[in-house]
Amino acid sequence: MDGAKKTDCCVEITYIPDTPPIPPDQQPTVSVFASVLTEPKHANNLIRFKFVSCLVALELPGPEKFPSFSPFSKQMVTNVVCSFFWFWSRRLNQIAPLEDLPHVKRIHKRHLEGKVQLSIILCLASGNDDQRIALPQAVKELVDSYQLSPFVTQVGLSFCVVCAFQFLSEFLVWLCMIKNRDRDDELGMLCCWLFVLNQVCKYAATSKEQWVEQCKLWPTSYHPPTFNIDGITGFSDEDSQSVYRFMKMAIDLANTRDNLITNAAVIVNPSVQQIIASACDEAHSCHKHQSATSCCNSSNGIQSQGGNPLSGESLEEPQRLRIVASCLNPWQWSQQECSSTSTSYQWHPLRHAALVAIESSAERDRRLFPGSDNLANQSFEVEPMLSACERSPAKRQKPDHENVKAVGNGLDSGNHDSSSALMRPYLCTGYDIFLVCEPCPMCAMALVHQRIRRIFYAFPNANAGALGSVHRLQGEKSLNHHYAVFQVKFQNESLNL
Amino acid sequence: MDCSSSGQGISPETLAYMELALDQAKEALDSLEVPVGCVIIEDGKVVASGRNRTSETRNATRHAEMEAIDFLLGKWQKNGLSKLEVAEKFSKCNLYVTCEPCIMCAAALSILGMKEVYYGCANDKFGGCGSVLSLHSGNPQSLTRTLLSLSLHLGLVPFKFYSGEVRQEGKGFKCSGGVMASEAVALFRSFYEQGNPNGIPLSFAPKPHRPVVRRATS
Repeated sequence: MDGAKKTDCCVEITYIPDTPPIPPDQQPTVSVFASVLTEPKHANNLIRFKFVSCLVALELPGPEKFPSFSPFSKQMVTNVVCSFFWFWSRRLNQIAPLEDLPHVKRIHKRHLEGKVQLSIILCLASGNDDQRIALPQAVKELVDSYQLSPFVTQVGLSFCVVCAFQFLSEFLVWLCMIKNRDRDDELGMLCCWLFVLNQVCKYAATSKEQWVEQCKLWPTSYHPPTFNIDGITGFSDEDSQSVYRFMKMAIDLANTRDNLITNAAVIVNPSVQQIIASACDEAHSCHKHQSATSCCNSSNGIQSQGGNPLSGESLEEPQRLRIVASCLNPWQWSQQECSSTSTSYQWHPLRHAALVAIESSAERDRRLFPGSDNLANQSFEVEPMLSACERSPAKRQKPDHENVKAVGNGLDSGNHDSSSALMRPYLCTGYDIFLVCEPCPMCAMALVHQRIRRIFYAFPNANAGALGSVHRLQGEKSLNHHYAVFQVKFQNESLNL
Repeated sequence: MDCSSSGQGISPETLAYMELALDQAKEALDSLEVPVGCVIIEDGKVVASGRNRTSETRNATRHAEMEAIDFLLGKWQKNGLSKLEVAEKFSKCNLYVTCEPCIMCAAALSILGMKEVYYGCANDKFGGCGSVLSLHSGNPQSLTRTLLSLSLHLGLVPFKFYSGEVRQEGKGFKCSGGVMASEAVALFRSFYEQGNPNGIPLSFAPKPHRPVVRRATS
């Protein structure tokens, strides 16, 4: 998988992309109507089309008066066809835009037995077979205005829809030739315009493999992602080590008893490797007072097994790791009775680890940067995005106030200039969070609100996970902030529980 | 009061409660917060109210709903209610909020098992009650869920459920939007028009997206 990186410390960090990973040959497709223009034998007609496009471009009288003989060479014909198609493409983009398919190219150019064949997508085909035959009115009018008679439309469509869901141009030409025996006058047209139900890929390719596969159906464009969040394209050994360290810290924090793990969150400023906040689940107050089995509703338990992050031998071991995080089944809080009457701290069904950590980071912010008066006096210049290849963490982001104090006014380092010394973070911008479990929608959205930069979690949450398992918030385009999500998979021995 | 834009059939109580929520939102606006407010109603009585406090707390999760919920939980715990009693009480509470709950708040309301939610304007960018996600339409007590709790009751460990595709959906709640939406939007408008209240340059604080008026189906 993309971005997976195995290192010496037995940790594998996998990037969880915005869209579910799809095998290249199983990408979802949508149906479109395409029109084939067969180049070879019907040069006259192609030239006629040339005049059509010229006439329209120059706004001369309608298309019905163009000559039907051809003084042009084959190469010219091809060029003309291209320009005509570009004209069509522009018109069609106006009247029948491919709104959700920006990656799909309108025109498909193919070389068949040394001849060029061009196809163009007319419009999306939706609904059942009956509706598919009906072109949108605007497209129909465009087709009609070039004397592509309704006959053509209907014949072409019905034949293509019924007979040819695949792109079999020879077959289609043949069908039309038969049809034309009794209607000689329309032979040329019929052979030129064939409507084919085509499949194009629904989503833009996320990898080159996907793109290659997509282009077998219909050409699409592919823009390799340019990431500006570190780690999506892989982690250096140094970065992996620190990811491992912080994740281990979160798991240790969560590991209240043997083989029993609640959720825990550690918010880190990665540029200076500093812990901003850490917290455990506080949805239930009882786990300190009760035995492991009764304290948490066993429905929250996950038995680690093959396929889960703890790979391999853990199945054979008598003791299994159980996760009882609030995020796994947030709706059952009321049934998690704790007989303990301890009021050492209060339960709160929404105090999941991530929310508690966010609150604690906000508290830290208020403590370190009190008052909003000096807010205006501080420098809020956002450092311009530095290139991702700059690996030194210290250069990526200037240290915050507290750290600068620890370093000692930063006079010894060029990175610690006085203006950055007072820099107050905006929420958790630039920070990472390490979670034992994939967060539920509430926690995941809270992390969007708080502007977390990267999320690392160890265990997926098939029941309520909002970062790939059930929902995929990192792929919701409408949100105003997007973080990068990684799963950290431990090798069994390195977890050392 | 402009309830024509909100359509007919909205009861006077609903409008009255939304009026109270709008008062909360105005209070937020006066405190230079994003103007969203809410009230929680139990048995026809206002038991909690809340407004946005994200700037004040520097905690972007302190939305009106979360404020009101925390107040209510604190109150009930002080009264010594158990978890089950609290859950029972939440299932009788209705929430009136000026803007469609975001994904976080909608998830929280589902976790608590709120009975009904009425909101003003839709929240196209963040809404968790139909706009972006539909967390209010849970699937309570599906067969698998029943089986799961049964097997748990019998002491079986159904980890197979978790490794497979079976998911437990959250509790749903009834949700109706478009209640005095134009008033809610007007508050947003005046908030964004008064400029950047906290002196945080726009380049620093991402500009919030203005919700649009949209009638949501219940």
